[in-house]
Order: sequence, then C-alpha cells, then structure tokens
Amino acid sequence: MTPQNPPASFYRTTEGLGLWEHRGKVAAVGVGHSPTARRWDGTPETCVGAWSILALRRAIADAGVSPNQIDGLVLDPVTTTGAYWPEGVPVPMDVVNAFHPTSDPLDGIAKLSAEWILQNMPELTNIQFVMYGPRCMSHAIVVAAQAVGEGLTHTCLVLKSWHNFEGRYYQGGANAQDTIDGTSAISRLWGTPASYGTALQFAEYCRKYGKTHDMMAPFISNSRRNGLLFPEGYWAQHRPEPLTTEDYLAARWIAKPANLFDNDIPIMVSAAYLFTTPERAKDMQQKPVYILNHTSSRATPRSLTPTLEEVEAETAKTGRKLYEGAGITAADLSFENMYDGFTLFHQFHLEGLGYRGIKCGEALDFYQTDISIEGPNPVSPSGGNIGSGRSRFWMHTDCIQQLQGRAGARQVTGVTPEIAVSGGPMPLGGNFTVWSATPD
Amino acid sequence: MSAATTVRLTHAQKGSYIVILISFDIDGTLEVGDPPGVLTMAMVKRVQKQGCWIGSCSDRPISAQRAIWAQHNISIDFAVGKLMLPDVKAKFVADMYYHIGDREDLDRKYALDAGFEFLWPHEAIVHPWFL
Repeated sequence: MTPQNPPASFYRTTEGLGLWEHRGKVAAVGVGHSPTARRWDGTPETCVGAWSILALRRAIADAGVSPNQIDGLVLDPVTTTGAYWPEGVPVPMDVVNAFHPTSDPLDGIAKLSAEWILQNMPELTNIQFVMYGPRCMSHAIVVAAQAVGEGLTHTCLVLKSWHNFEGRYYQGGANAQDTIDGTSAISRLWGTPASYGTALQFAEYCRKYGKTHDMMAPFISNSRRNGLLFPEGYWAQHRPEPLTTEDYLAARWIAKPANLFDNDIPIMVSAAYLFTTPERAKDMQQKPVYILNHTSSRATPRSLTPTLEEVEAETAKTGRKLYEGAGITAADLSFENMYDGFTLFHQFHLEGLGYRGIKCGEALDFYQTDISIEGPNPVSPSGGNIGSGRSRFWMHTDCIQQLQGRAGARQVTGVTPEIAVSGGPMPLGGNFTVWSATPD
Repeated sequence: MSAATTVRLTHAQKGSYIVILISFDIDGTLEVGDPPGVLTMAMVKRVQKQGCWIGSCSDRPISAQRAIWAQHNISIDFAVGKLMLPDVKAKFVADMYYHIGDREDLDRKYALDAGFEFLWPHEAIVHPWFL
C-alpha cells in the first residue's frame, strides 16, 4: 500500500473555524514504548525498525485489540535525530537481512517506511489506510486524529521513532557537505547550533521583560524530576541524575543564553499510540482519552529566524485556535505539556496559552512558584525532552496516561486531570492537540 | 567546585613536594563514562594515593559527578563543568596541572587554553602515576 501525504484540508491552521467537527469523536486508547538507548549498538534487535515494531505491538496489546482489527497506520518516515548513516560505511547486511527489507537497505536502520513496517508485521492483515505525518509525533497525531474523524480509518496506529548513531550530533548529512543551498545557505552557513534562534528570542525576552536565564532553573529541575518518574524515559532508565540549580547554572553555553541543559540529548526510542472511535474504544482495555481539537501553526518568519514579536503573536494565535476548536478556555486546562526542546521556548507556549492567566513576560516568575505535579499549577508533568531525552513525544504520552489515571509516580495530584494540551515543536511551525477525559 | 570543602593552598603549606593536580573528563575517559573510557576507578585511586589532587571536569551535572565519585568511595578535590578549568587553576596552586579527556574541542583545546597539560586517555594510562 502506497502511503499518502496528508492533504492541506487535514490541518486547522486559521482562526474562525469554530468547533472541530470531530470534537470528542476520536480517542487515544493504547500506548506502547520501546526501550531507550543513547546510540544504536548495531544489533538487529535494537535497530529503529525493531524498536518500532516493539512499540507498535505494545500499543496494540495495551489497547487490548486484535491486530486484524487495525485498519490504519500513520507514521513519520524520517527517524534521524541529526545522525546520518556515515558515507562510505557499509550497511550491515546481517541487520538488513534479519528483517524483510525494502529496496532501500537503510530502511529500518536510518529511516522507516510504511512498507518496511507492514512487511515486518505480518499480523497487520487489514491495513486500509497509510499516511505519513512528517517530522514528529505532534504531526502524526494531528493526521491520525483527522483521519479517524473523517472515517478514513477506525482503528489506527500512530508511530514515531528515532535513531541515533555513533558520532557527533548534527555533524553529518547536509552539514558535512562542502556546499549548502536554499535558505540554509544564509541561515546555517556558519554552522550555528540548532538552538541559536531560540536563544536570540530568549535574550530579547529577558531584555524586554527584565528577566534572567537563571530564572529558568526551577523549570529545568522540575522537568528532570518529572522525567525521572517516567519509567519509559532515557534518564530514568540509564542515568537517573537530577538537575539541580547549581548543575544548571554551571553548564557551559551552547549558544548563549542557551546552555547545555537547555538543549536535549539525542536518543534512540520509539513510541506508538492506538487511536479509534469512541464506540470501538468502549470494548478496549484502557480508558479512552478523547481529542477535543487539533491545530497547526504554519507561520513563517519575515527574516532568517523568528523575532520575539513573531513568536509571541503566533503562540497566542495557537492558544486561541486550540480553545476555539475545543470549545474550552484556558481556565479548563488541568495542566499543560507543551514542547520543551529547547527549554527556552517553553515559556512562549505557556504564555500563548495563557496558562493559569499568565501573560507575556510572566512565565519565568511563574516558574518560581509551585509548578510541581503535586501543586495546583503543574508545568510539563511529562518532564518533556529535558526529563527523558529527545523524542518530542513524552508530552503526548503523559497527557494520555495522566487522563487515564495511569501515570504512576508522575500522576498529578494537585489537580483533577480532565483536560490537557500538548504539542510542538516550534512556536512557529508545529502541531497541537487538546486531550480530554470525557468526550464533551 | 565545592567551595565549602576546598581550600586554596599555598606553596608554604605544600611543603617541598611537587604538587600535581589531575582533572578527569568522565564520558569516554573513565570506565564509568558513557561511552566507557580506558581509565579505571582503581587507577584513579592509585593516583590519589600518590598525593595528587584529583577531580572531574565534565558535561555531567556537577551533582552527578560528585555522586559518581562517592559511589566509588573516592574523595575528590573538585568537580566542575566543562570550560571551568580556569576556576580550578585559580583555586588550587599546584606545580603541574593535567587534564585527561577524549575530545579535541571540549577537552584538549580548553585544557591548553587554561594552562593545563593535556593527555589523551591512552596516553595517560601508561603514565607512571597509573601504574
């Protein structure tokens, strides 16, 4: 089956669209995660394809459905964290041949086609719908939600996987070439760290509102604490290291004022969810979590990198779109799980949402209050990428698990988990979802 | 660096011995690193027994560095983030300063800039201190 790319009509990108027509008619039920690793160890059992299969099978089992009930698959075919297969290095054919390969030997190792998944999961005998949701889980969720809402699939797996190889981050691929083209020829010519644009916005934010980078420390510590309560995450599994204020403030600059811990750690990991209709969810194993709305930001900056003003305008617009389509207000949010990789833009998302009434320039002061999972104003209970490594999906898993009441030690206790929001990645350019414990 | 537990020593306090300070990177250098390095914690203990001041200079959180040393019952003189070797040099007056690490950009370059001698782990392991 040839995967389709999502049509433009799938996305809710503008204000004034009213309630989402499928509000409360799509539910997330099953969740499955692979283990995590810092880098691939070269074995077939741990390649990105194998871990994708593992995550998918766990999501299926978690939902309690038979594989032949599944008729849809949405995934991101790009799995790189910034690591690319090194030029000139032979592809390990023992790994390739441990599976049913496609015509591309790197499929399942450094990328992931729907064809590869379907060839290697023979139990998925009834797939009628396959679509790509490029770049991250936030995107795949929006595509899958819209597809289920439109009746294109009734029981759909949603998958996002990441590979990471030996070597340094972002040193391969286009960055290793002698020439560079397009907009990148101007914006990335000098090899800037990926966080530099966000760092510039944050520097301007501090100047405009009289804040400091040090004020980020409580958010960083809280996020790592939450991550260490996330058994599926990298830090919890491999290096259960808290991040104290001293740790954070002593870290070296990557792109001042973004330091080492404002950037996330690339890892290998896969996650899968099972989406379905409320009617079918009734017969499944887990409590359904309903999607009230999704929205997408497709804004483009006027220049090479977004200004603070553009960021603030777009995050505010995203907040308005989310609430309009879901039929809720900021006061209805039990907690928020917006993206954090880079940490220095989380406050833009927070202020755009007007979470707990905060306005532009107030988020860092808000971080100085009780933002823990035990308090009345939980911030990023998932811990995000800071808490569990670079996946861009901990926030979604956490929303589902919190609203299902099975977030374990991470379960919020200061609020009743009823409605949550997650999404990203960037303030300009992202996809966002409103989740609810009830369909209306 | 733990200001509460370190003291700036003078040449007079040191006496006539040559004082050597050795800074260890962790990941890719020590056996407990990720990836593991060739220097074992037993080797580090041997170095310390010979009177060297020791500590770590790593991208690991400082609290995590201290936890690693504590887990191996090694009492360190300092634990600092990358690029903080100048702070170490300002705090400890030694006759020789060494940093051992596995990265050209984050270890060797900044060690030399800070006035430290630099050793790759494979060079350090054959040094008399470790034998």
